[in-house]
Amino acid sequence: MRREIRFRLNGEAVSAQVAPHETLVELLQEGFGLYGARESCGQGLCGCCTVLVDGRAVSGCLYLASLVEDSDVRTIEDGGELDAVQQAFIEASGFQCGFCTPGFVLMTRQLLDEIPDPSEDDIKHYLSGNLCRCGAYPEIIAAVKLAARKRKGV
Amino acid sequence: MLMMKAGVLRPARLVSLRKLNLDSISNGKDGVLVVGAMTTLRELERSAAVKEGWPVITRALRTLSNVRVRNVATVGGALAHADPHMDLPPLLSALGARATIAGPQGERSAPIESLYAGYLENTLRRGELITHIEIPPLGKRRAAYLKCTTRSADDWPALGMAVVLDGGEARIWVSAATDKPTRLLAAEKILKGQITDEKALRQAGAAAAEEVHIESDLHGSADYKKQLIRVYLARAVHEARNAVH
Ligand SMILES: Cc1cc2nc3c(=O)[nH]c(=O)nc-3n(C[C@H](O)[C@H](O)[C@H](O)COP(=O)(O)OP(=O)(O)OC[C@H]3O[C@@H](n4cnc5c(N)ncnc54)[C@H](O)[C@@H]3O)c2cc1C
Ligand code: FES
Ligand code: FES
Repeated sequence: MRREIRFRLNGEAVSAQVAPHETLVELLQEGFGLYGARESCGQGLCGCCTVLVDGRAVSGCLYLASLVEDSDVRTIEDGGELDAVQQAFIEASGFQCGFCTPGFVLMTRQLLDEIPDPSEDDIKHYLSGNLCRCGAYPEIIAAVKLAARKRKGV
Repeated sequence: MLMMKAGVLRPARLVSLRKLNLDSISNGKDGVLVVGAMTTLRELERSAAVKEGWPVITRALRTLSNVRVRNVATVGGALAHADPHMDLPPLLSALGARATIAGPQGERSAPIESLYAGYLENTLRRGELITHIEIPPLGKRRAAYLKCTTRSADDWPALGMAVVLDGGEARIWVSAATDKPTRLLAAEKILKGQITDEKALRQAGAAAAEEVHIESDLHGSADYKKQLIRVYLARAVHEARNAVH
């Protein structure tokens, strides 16, 4: 039993036919060919599937696709140009293999929207639900600090 | 959602509660805080009213998993799921909070602790929904919630302990180590009028570890969790005494 939902995806008005149990990751991958949010743990633990829904980070693996009806959905594929956070992750080498990076970048966007000048504790607090198997944590924290400076234009 | 994802539940129908307008936090009669069941844990954490009147709840929420989980998890889901490792049930029980439950027979009100029958088992009847919770004002009471996580800082707890002090009396609830939120009556009795006495605190910790049935699980063996109870009881009482409120 599929139902049509409408929402905004990376700034564009879209619609999709979704089944009640379908997750947001499944919809993005199968319906829109967007693979930036990927399922790894499938239990809300790792953050690889992070998607912003109305500006708040959610685990796409545990979020029902039908719940994004009328919402603003942003994935790592959003926008033509790299934003300050992505640029900072590149400059500070905030990744090795890059599998976890979309999740860290999107979580960092929520952090900087809510706390433009985060302390190291704030950074760890917001990113504690994102796991990096390559262990790039020190570089990631440096990247977030750099992103905060870039956003302020200093 | 977690149970569905894990394949434990295979529902034939899914019903969203999102359009029921149950996501507000408001002031009720006599200083009671009324929280809609669809309020997210993150909204509760960021509520100025909660921070001001029940800072113990704000502090507890900041240790509950991570921001991404709290962005989505709702108060109603956190109470109905009945996993003993959850943080709100023991804390809200200790604070004397109640749930308003709506069903085919109308509305009823029940203490939070009465929602639990056992591991992953709640006492809601068929067709019933939690619509709100009511949290009484702290007043002169002081409260603390301590948890111990064993695998990572933001893991589900191996022990959750809530203490509310009212004058010389303590109300103490434990969860995670037990199969549902459980009041530590023997420990409370020992502490009556003696909450500052180190010896009484040690005795109460020992009594607490013996008065409840403790389960071994991924977070620790039963013996380990008994030791945690002994140690955390005094710490939690101490924390409550020093709570800034
Ligand atoms: C990785 C991870 C770690 C977590 N760690 C913790 C932790 O350390 N401590 C903790 O406390 N929690 C933890 N949680 C749980 C989280 O707090 C949520 O409470 C949980 O996911 C359920 O909330 P939900 O609103 O998503 O409910 P759902 O998954 O939508 O529902 C859960 C159950 O409750 C029922 N239900 C929901 N709302 C109502 C209602 N209003 N009335 C009656 N029944 C209802 C549903 O039918 C379902 O059976 C964790 C979750 C994840 C994903
Ligand atoms: S795949 Fe969703 S949090 Fe790990
Ligand atoms: S860069 Fe490889 S998992 Fe993080």
